[in-house]
Amino acid sequence: MAVNPKKLRPYDQPPRVRRPIIPAGPDNAATAFLVAALVWFLLATGIGLLWVGMQLFPDVLRMSLEMPSFSGVITFEFNSGTVGSGFWNSLVYGWLGNAGLGAIFFITPRLLGRRLADEGMASMSAMVWNIGLLAGLTAIYMPQVAASGALMEFPLPVDGVLVLALLLANDSFWRTLLSARDEPAYVSIWYFGVALAAFTGLYGLATLAPLLGLPDAAAALANGFYGRAIETLWVTGVAVGTLYYLVPRATGNPLYSWGLAMLAWILWLGLATLSPIGALVDVSVPFAVTQIGHVSTLLLVVPAFLVVANLLQTITGRWSLILSPGTIPFAVVAVSFLAATALLEAIGALGSVRALIGGTEWGVGVRLFALLGTGSLAFLALADHAFPRLLRRDWRGTLLAEATLWSAFAGTALAGLALMAGGIVHGSMRLQGAPPDEIAGPVFWFQLVAGAGVSLVALAAAIALLSVFLMYTSARRADYAVVGEPAPAAGT
Amino acid sequence: MTVHTPIESRTRGIPRWALGLTGIAFVAGAIFLATNLGGANPPIIGTPVPSGGVPLDAVGIIRAAGCQACHGPDLAGQGDFPNLHGVKDGPVSENLQQLGADYPEDWANLWIAGTDPAVADLGRGGMPPFGTTLSPEEIAAVVEHLKSLP
Repeated sequence: MAVNPKKLRPYDQPPRVRRPIIPAGPDNAATAFLVAALVWFLLATGIGLLWVGMQLFPDVLRMSLEMPSFSGVITFEFNSGTVGSGFWNSLVYGWLGNAGLGAIFFITPRLLGRRLADEGMASMSAMVWNIGLLAGLTAIYMPQVAASGALMEFPLPVDGVLVLALLLANDSFWRTLLSARDEPAYVSIWYFGVALAAFTGLYGLATLAPLLGLPDAAAALANGFYGRAIETLWVTGVAVGTLYYLVPRATGNPLYSWGLAMLAWILWLGLATLSPIGALVDVSVPFAVTQIGHVSTLLLVVPAFLVVANLLQTITGRWSLILSPGTIPFAVVAVSFLAATALLEAIGALGSVRALIGGTEWGVGVRLFALLGTGSLAFLALADHAFPRLLRRDWRGTLLAEATLWSAFAGTALAGLALMAGGIVHGSMRLQGAPPDEIAGPVFWFQLVAGAGVSLVALAAAIALLSVFLMYTSARRADYAVVGEPAPAAGT
Repeated sequence: MTVHTPIESRTRGIPRWALGLTGIAFVAGAIFLATNLGGANPPIIGTPVPSGGVPLDAVGIIRAAGCQACHGPDLAGQGDFPNLHGVKDGPVSENLQQLGADYPEDWANLWIAGTDPAVADLGRGGMPPFGTTLSPEEIAAVVEHLKSLP
């Protein structure tokens, strides 16, 4: 029964407003994913800093905690191994996973012109995903329950929770897409579809793999394939899809070429799927098959170059935006890292180069370029564009945006280049027959520089989070268009 | 009115230069593949020698993995943590004797990795399963180094 507040007597209480446990308003899911992403970004880079410190001073920073519980004593191990796992997992699943899903749920409704098919389901996926991540990240430090395999250290029940979250996200995304059949979807949606399906499929299969009782060699090969595929199909896919949305939106220009975008998408789809085969290095795998993976990695330069060319041509006429703080400088730096990563990975796929840098710090440096460079800068560009719209704030955080951009760019470049240079020095000294003790000396200094780089990225994460906090608490309210609702006179 | 502002494109077709570039790159890739099919992959497990033909930096791996924090700076053991200088003669710890008997060649690799079902029921006493963070080649390099200790 409706109550008129004007007729309430003094001792009456106004009717309570019922808030749903799972928010289902427009953009709730995107907001939840993106806010969580920034928190994970800060956490991941903080753990990364600790990891670098542990590699430099393993004896000083190692820690072991024992806590009594109902089922006995629980041990938490904080050593270079567990902290390293914590860094990669929180970076890939916490920061890039949340940001990627947030990008999908922010951009898809705006491109299709309709609200998500089930916003509540998408919001629930954000909650389930982050609860699962918290449990998984805690379990990594518990040798009794942690599983094995790079990026697959979470225990089986946690993997199940994360797969459930991904299935919920898929449900919302695909139902939204299938309800919009009026015209071919924009290229970002094509990237998102493949990336989300690949992420879910790969994570699901990787979760099931231990149940199959694979031999050690097969399990190690599958794990190598998984790690590479997550980078090429999920992180790169969502980052490129996001950039294809942001650059035309922020410049106000149309996309340079639809045909070029679709050609790059087809090439990326084929080559990014084949590239992880290069990780299958074992006598049980024919050499020709592994070579197909390496050649695919080499050829990935082509779609990367086509994407870069298309986006830079799109900016034509609005180059001055690069000099002003905002989305475009972030996007241009992300595009630069995309090109650099593709080139470096291609160089690393050459047999003679692999012989030099195999098993050194080079691989970690290139991976930082891909994850912290392309991925992080693309999602920071999205954060710059999306948060004022999600929080409905009139925000001009120019100084903070500049500080975030330069810290993230300088930190990633410094850490990545230092590790790559350290890898080359390591490999060269190894080929000259230098003993390990002699190699460790110079490599130490490169790791030290990499640590400084990671600390700059951590600073960028802190500033980005502070910027969102200040935007929410101190900026004036502003109206932005909401998908599926009457539009005010503002941008989308 | 609902918000639906699709992103337009300046042109629909594929620029000729892009088709040409793609064609040239794929022809070059095919030639590269055809001329690089000879060879064999190295084994992924039990090989301390990477493709470069030089042993991995076992000391660096041991230092980075934090082995010395428990087993002592010279790996000679401290407190409850065993002396690793005896690895070449088989397991020192009581709970690893059966593992050593069942897998006389690989017991140390299996134990350090901690991911094989063969060691699933053995109490690890706080030792992390390094199979989650080190590659089989790195573990094999560490075992080779430990076996070389006097």
